Amino acid sequence: MSDDHDHHAPIEGGDEISEFDVLETAIRELAIEKGLFSAEDHRRFMEWAEGIGPHGGSRLVARAWLDPHFKQRLLADGTETSKEIGIDWLDPTGTGTPSDFTYFYVLENTPAVHNVIVCTLCSCYPRPVLGQAPEWYKTPHYRRRVVRWPREVLAEFGLHLPPGVEVRVHDSNQKSRFMVLPMRPAGTEGWSEDQLAAIVTRDTMIGVAVPRADWNADRAPTEVRS
Amino acid sequence: MRRFQIGDRVSVRDATTLFHHRTQSYVRGRTGLVVEHRPEWLIPEDEAWQRDDGRVEPFYVVRFRQVDLWPNYTGLESDTVETEVAEGWLVPAAEETTS
Repeated sequence: MSDDHDHHAPIEGGDEISEFDVLETAIRELAIEKGLFSAEDHRRFMEWAEGIGPHGGSRLVARAWLDPHFKQRLLADGTETSKEIGIDWLDPTGTGTPSDFTYFYVLENTPAVHNVIVCTLCSCYPRPVLGQAPEWYKTPHYRRRVVRWPREVLAEFGLHLPPGVEVRVHDSNQKSRFMVLPMRPAGTEGWSEDQLAAIVTRDTMIGVAVPRADWNADRAPTEVRS
Repeated sequence: MRRFQIGDRVSVRDATTLFHHRTQSYVRGRTGLVVEHRPEWLIPEDEAWQRDDGRVEPFYVVRFRQVDLWPNYTGLESDTVETEVAEGWLVPAAEETTS
């Protein structure tokens, strides 16, 4: 073989560029040329937007578990209540960027109903509270299958829901963005908001997993398994 | 004035989809239940052309039973899908066939 000096797998598709990529690059370069914003402005925005992560969502859930009044407000008006933890869906662009829109609804899991979110038309996701969507969330594979075979898809993520639990898929096809409020797991009695927030991982707020007292996403899985 | 109230059974029109509309094929021609009201929003048909002063309609969250959407649905009878539909896409549920 001729790969003695090359231990890396070839990067496939690295040269491919979509029409949307071309469009974005063209508009960005024109905007920079016209002085609407600078290249550094753009870089800073992307660095911020791509670094948001799911911690805002975790905070919302943990506080809702501890404070019934907060939970009530969160379920009644997600956009407004997000401000209580410092997330303004209108900031910084006035149109909810880094999300597209500013109608945010929180979906409460109960012993009878398990919620899971998808965008079958594109990849709508509650970015101000969960950050950028995971790659799989944006794939046609997830999008077309979770709406058609939700129990099978959840099982592929390791989540087996018993009969008696209604699986409710939420397709964010219009202006609203959704996040799941999972149920507080047993074994977390007396925990602080920080302790609780740590176990509310991204996937539990998408609805493809449920939180566990003995698991959080900051630990490497192997560390826990031993 | 909203045409539909929470609890109403509605059918999604199986209308032409020549331009941008955001009404999924899997709900067109299907019947579900209005479970929530959403605000009045600019409809995608006009928003797609950046007609910011275009047509505004009340939106609804409609809940469909999975077994009503897919042939041979393999989950449980209780499973559902919720999605948002503009009023113009909805009509009162047709006379239901007895199952």
